[in-house]
Amino acid sequence: MQRLKIGTSWVRGVVGEALTPDLVVDFACAFGTWCDGGAVVIGRDTRGSSRMMRAAVTSGLLASGCEVIDLGLCSTPFVSFAVRELGADGGISITGSHNDAEWNALKFVGPDGALLNAVKSEELLDIYHASHFRLAAWNELKPVARDGGLAARYRAHLLAALDVETISARGFKVAVDFCNGAGAETARPFLEALGATLVPVNEEPSGIFAHPPAPTAANMRVLAEQVTATRADIGAGLNVDGDRVGFVTRDGVALSEEYTLPIAAGARLRRHPGSIVINLSTSSMVEAVAAKHKQGVRRAAVGESHVVDQGMAEGAVLAGEGSGGVAALPASLTFDALLTLGLVLEEMASAALSLQELVDRLPRFTMRKHELPCPPNVVYKVVEAFRTRYADHDPDCTDGVRVQFPDAGWMHARASNTEPLLRVIVEAATAIRADALLTEALAFARRTMKAAGEP
Amino acid sequence: MSRLSLKIGASGVRGVVGESLTPQLVTSFAAAFGSYSGTGEILIGSDTRPSAEMVKQAAIAGLLSVGNTPVDVGVVPVPALMRHVRDAQARGGICISASHNTVEWNALKFIGPDGMVLRGNQSAELTDLYHQGVYPRVSAAEIPAARTDVSTIARHRDAVLGAVNVSAIRARRFRVAIDCCNGAASQATPEFLDALGCEIVAVHADASRPFPHDPEPLPENLGDLCAAVAEKKADLGFAQDADADRLALVDERGLPLGEDCTVAIAVEYWLRRRPGTVVVNLATSRMIDDVAARYGCRVVRTRVGETHVVEKMIDVGAEIGGEGNGGVILRPVNACRDSFVGMALVLEALARDASSLSTLRARLPAYALLQETLLCPAREVAPSLRLLQQYYREHTLDLTDGIKVAWKDRWIQIRPSNTEPIIRLTAEAPSAADAQALLNEAIERLSPGS
Repeated sequence: MQRLKIGTSWVRGVVGEALTPDLVVDFACAFGTWCDGGAVVIGRDTRGSSRMMRAAVTSGLLASGCEVIDLGLCSTPFVSFAVRELGADGGISITGSHNDAEWNALKFVGPDGALLNAVKSEELLDIYHASHFRLAAWNELKPVARDGGLAARYRAHLLAALDVETISARGFKVAVDFCNGAGAETARPFLEALGATLVPVNEEPSGIFAHPPAPTAANMRVLAEQVTATRADIGAGLNVDGDRVGFVTRDGVALSEEYTLPIAAGARLRRHPGSIVINLSTSSMVEAVAAKHKQGVRRAAVGESHVVDQGMAEGAVLAGEGSGGVAALPASLTFDALLTLGLVLEEMASAALSLQELVDRLPRFTMRKHELPCPPNVVYKVVEAFRTRYADHDPDCTDGVRVQFPDAGWMHARASNTEPLLRVIVEAATAIRADALLTEALAFARRTMKAAGEP
Repeated sequence: MSRLSLKIGASGVRGVVGESLTPQLVTSFAAAFGSYSGTGEILIGSDTRPSAEMVKQAAIAGLLSVGNTPVDVGVVPVPALMRHVRDAQARGGICISASHNTVEWNALKFIGPDGMVLRGNQSAELTDLYHQGVYPRVSAAEIPAARTDVSTIARHRDAVLGAVNVSAIRARRFRVAIDCCNGAASQATPEFLDALGCEIVAVHADASRPFPHDPEPLPENLGDLCAAVAEKKADLGFAQDADADRLALVDERGLPLGEDCTVAIAVEYWLRRRPGTVVVNLATSRMIDDVAARYGCRVVRTRVGETHVVEKMIDVGAEIGGEGNGGVILRPVNACRDSFVGMALVLEALARDASSLSTLRARLPAYALLQETLLCPAREVAPSLRLLQQYYREHTLDLTDGIKVAWKDRWIQIRPSNTEPIIRLTAEAPSAADAQALLNEAIERLSPGS
């Protein structure tokens, strides 16, 4: 397992191993240099290691002449909002996000409020590698400012993107699992404004996670029990930094996080018609929703910054991924779990249906995902072999190879951004067909690896 | 970048902000210090420089990364921080202040659990850890929470007040003008003098404002204080440097006494009460020898540098000592130079004698202490000193720190600077002309015809 990963818009590592304060200071200096010593908003999640990261980030930004606006404990979308609201030159969200507790990361937000896109990330990395950081003289050093009153403005901003009246009329009871992140303080008044009652789960912002933070069905078991026990209308599992969200039906069924996007899309498109950008591995369910509203769906490379960047370029009204991350463009320029929750409530209220009934209206697909350990020097040969094999199927080669078959089934094979793995994702109308697609793809991948000398 | 803007030495790490004192350097040194100190609490205090926050956050990050608990004590005088480290039995302390250096500098001073600056072999070990560059980082689950503590100033005040006769001082209701250089003592000094019943005329005691002048409390920097003493008819004036270890005095007429008088007055008063051995450095005025002779006490001299003086005080069991640059050390209170100790002793001396500061000064022997510096590349330092050693071979030589030549009533010391490519010459004699003659004689040897 590699302990340090640098990706588009983020740098991530295991604390105490790859993620040292030296590395964090260097990246903060690089970002301060990229921002040309302007104003930078910072926020952090509840991980204990985020305090260490915060000190290192603050020092590096100050040294490069930046004014630091410290929001304290907050979500990544709140950092994004503050950057835009304050007209800051950038933002850094200190959060290991969906990764396990031993990890932490920096997410870099550009002056537009979106995570750095590929080009901007390259610029930042070039500065980092060149190590020629801006260093402010003693009389150019600026102070650290604290946030004042941004929380209420953020809430108003979220509510403006929702049909508050329709949602309020339903008087929802909503169980929310905060995964011991900092979300409750924002979520409580937000839900109150939507006429909803909050049933908090793992509300204590201790940074000691009751379960792994990714909002997968497996991680929402306790939430599901709470939904049933409190007779809530819906359960929402928030990622630690408030970007992604997964849902539980009132019957206590924890849904795959793939359902988040298509259900939120229903509400978004009803009042804001426009196109949607998703990634190559996202379920086709959202395509059916878009088709119902006579809108198009485009696919981009895997990763929040890619789908949001393409969505902004196209003027789309929604960008999202199957991970439960949804950005209602242009209201949110990052994935925003609270706004996504609001959209799902709006869809339930507008359609006068329960979450389960909304799920039932979606086309039924079976998705299969598999990870094949594959060293970095071989994985691209395998991807290339897929490309050759499906050359006459008009493959989408934006990020690996994605092949759309005539029967609505598809297969996506790509090198992982984060680990030495080949990821294979297939989806089809039936489980039998999905299994067949996966088996075939994996067999082909293994044959290719063997030919390349891998056992 | 100027060639010499970074100095990693016995007393810590010093550099120019925006050039050599980068957050990377500070983070690494803090991690090294945390590793050196062992798991536990490390107190962090700073002076009021604009770079304090940047340096402090970098130090906190470095300490947390190796599992130490940083305790932020805020803006405090360095002697108060050192006392607190000892009191609280912390693992150590980091003082963020470039002391008397100008505002573009900042520095880390590393304090051991005994409340003393790391000594030679200790700081060598720390520097080795830094150079090895491998620190035992802790995992995410083991990173502690930093905390704050605001008790430092009060703890220190109580300790200093415990060593003097507070009621005698209070009874005099002194009017005292203070110049804290808007530095680390800006809060502590008014509170301290208030406890001693003084009426305060604050000249530069606002921590939120920039340094009004170079922080070194030399007579040329104290114009505002001298004017305030005269104008407000104060009994005396106190000037501290940015981290408040050094103290300079201004008498009731508004005249600066020169920093060497601070230690002489404090020592004179202390020995009168409790005779004992005095430890000062080689560059400290002969006044100390004369004062000690009055009470039949011995003077032991050490190399220049606070740690050398303190170590020797411990070795010989001395209670009082210091350095000529206004640094009074009273071991029962603090194992470091402490301007608050200096203020308390001077005020008590005044209270007991019912006299004025100019009278106290007049009772001290009069010497002229002059200094010169000569630029000298490092490779030429040793040959130059050998030349002088040869020249003065007929006289009484002390080679502890450069060369010190002593006669009955005068002396000259020639030593290489610890921090710059210069040779420092210090001479003291009954008159300024005599002292200058001593300097000229040595300079003529070092650079003939100049």
